[in-house]
Amino acid sequence: MSTTPIAIVLFLFQWVNVPLPNTPRLPNGKPNLTVPVPKTREGKPDLTGIWRAADGKYLQNIAADGVQVPFQPWAEALYKERQANFSKDRPSGRCLPHGVPDSFLVTATPFKIVQTPFVTVVLLENQGHFRQIFTDGRGFPKDTPPTWMGYSIGKWEGDTFVVDSIGFNDQTYIDDGGHPHTEAYHSTERFHRRDFGHMDYEITIDDPKAYTRPWKVTMPFELFPDNELMESVCENEKDFERLVGK
Amino acid sequence: MRTIRLMAVVFAMNVAAFAQWVNVKLPNTPRTPDGKPILSAPAPKAVDGKPDLSGLWRAADNRLLQDLAAGPGGAPMHPWAAALYKERSESLGKGKPLERCIPHGVPDGMLVRNFPYKILQTPDVVVLLYEEFNHFRQIFTDGRGFPPETTETWFGYSIGHWEGDTLVAETIGFNDGSWLDNNGHPHTNALRVSERFHRRDFGHLDIQVTFDDPKAYTKPWTVNLPFELYPDAELIESICENEKDREHMVGK
Repeated sequence: MSTTPIAIVLFLFQWVNVPLPNTPRLPNGKPNLTVPVPKTREGKPDLTGIWRAADGKYLQNIAADGVQVPFQPWAEALYKERQANFSKDRPSGRCLPHGVPDSFLVTATPFKIVQTPFVTVVLLENQGHFRQIFTDGRGFPKDTPPTWMGYSIGKWEGDTFVVDSIGFNDQTYIDDGGHPHTEAYHSTERFHRRDFGHMDYEITIDDPKAYTRPWKVTMPFELFPDNELMESVCENEKDFERLVGK
Repeated sequence: MRTIRLMAVVFAMNVAAFAQWVNVKLPNTPRTPDGKPILSAPAPKAVDGKPDLSGLWRAADNRLLQDLAAGPGGAPMHPWAAALYKERSESLGKGKPLERCIPHGVPDGMLVRNFPYKILQTPDVVVLLYEEFNHFRQIFTDGRGFPPETTETWFGYSIGHWEGDTLVAETIGFNDGSWLDNNGHPHTNALRVSERFHRRDFGHLDIQVTFDDPKAYTKPWTVNLPFELYPDAELIESICENEKDREHMVGK
């Protein structure tokens, strides 16, 4: 008996429908998703909005587009083991965070970007966690204790928001299929909002202990307009391991 | 022996809570000539002219975390609520939701002095980022009303508007699972919370909270919560990682 359909049904419950201000609209009132990107007071593209992965295939395999993943041998062995047991030990199955970028990959649970001059915050519907991307000019702290979400600093390169993150622990899976990483993980994410309703996201995974060289993946996000995040607190899901894992 | 073990645990928990803070000189901070933040400077304004509540805040008084109704008279509980409260406080809070990594709720999540929270104010939404358990709350200030139906949640659904220099937030849509404080003041899903946020000056925020839950309390009751700014600092990640032992170590 598979629990995946049940999980999907649970995720597709009622969204809160809220016409949001500052939304360009067609004559019939629907959001116009192809108008140009809004700008902030500082003249930067404004990434604020509720977004979700436009294509669910990356959740199980971030390399689904065929990128050759340059595994170190131990990492490839671990990945194969996780594939064989359907990722039964995935930390997010025990209410631990998804990390970067896995938390973006779940199409059913969107995320809200709130962009302010000094920090861009990402509110993750999945587990009700958040990420902060500091844009106040600070560098990385001298010491970063290992964390689930990393420590992120961001800057603009033209119209692209470039986010560097370090300070990860070795616990999260890069995707639900189990691409591993170590505490040496340094991610570089590039957010480019193409128009009002579409964002291109590129992540470079640089972890010399797990991979022989950096590798990157590009994927699309789509706006989820006139909506709101739902609360999704993970409450002691103890059965994932037994229901899904092999 | 048990007392020593308990004290060792409490000591360990407090030490972990005072873990190394990230010291970051934050922009837009009024400073003395030698660089110290001036906490008594006037409250800053946001771009739309409203007082700006943004900043890292923490409870000025840890006692309210234990007992929100610490003043004379206590909270006006119905008999069933008073009985439940007695049971919870006498067992030293055994069974409180945070033992299972469940959120504190409103306003309890703000009351843990060792875990500050960050307010990020924008014209359309005020976001609260809680250090404890890495959760967030949104207070919508874009003019929306409550949705026609609210699912029952730990943090409720909050909408806010300004009355002069005070942000007034109304929250409904709670489940009945959270405790209002660590001693266990209960509430039901009929709870409606009103919070009045007033930033007195750069370094001080007062939140007056009114609890209106006719199923648990005979009348609404109000508490005043003082918060102080935690300048030149940053939230530290604090994920609840399967704390299964608190129930055995602290609960009675």
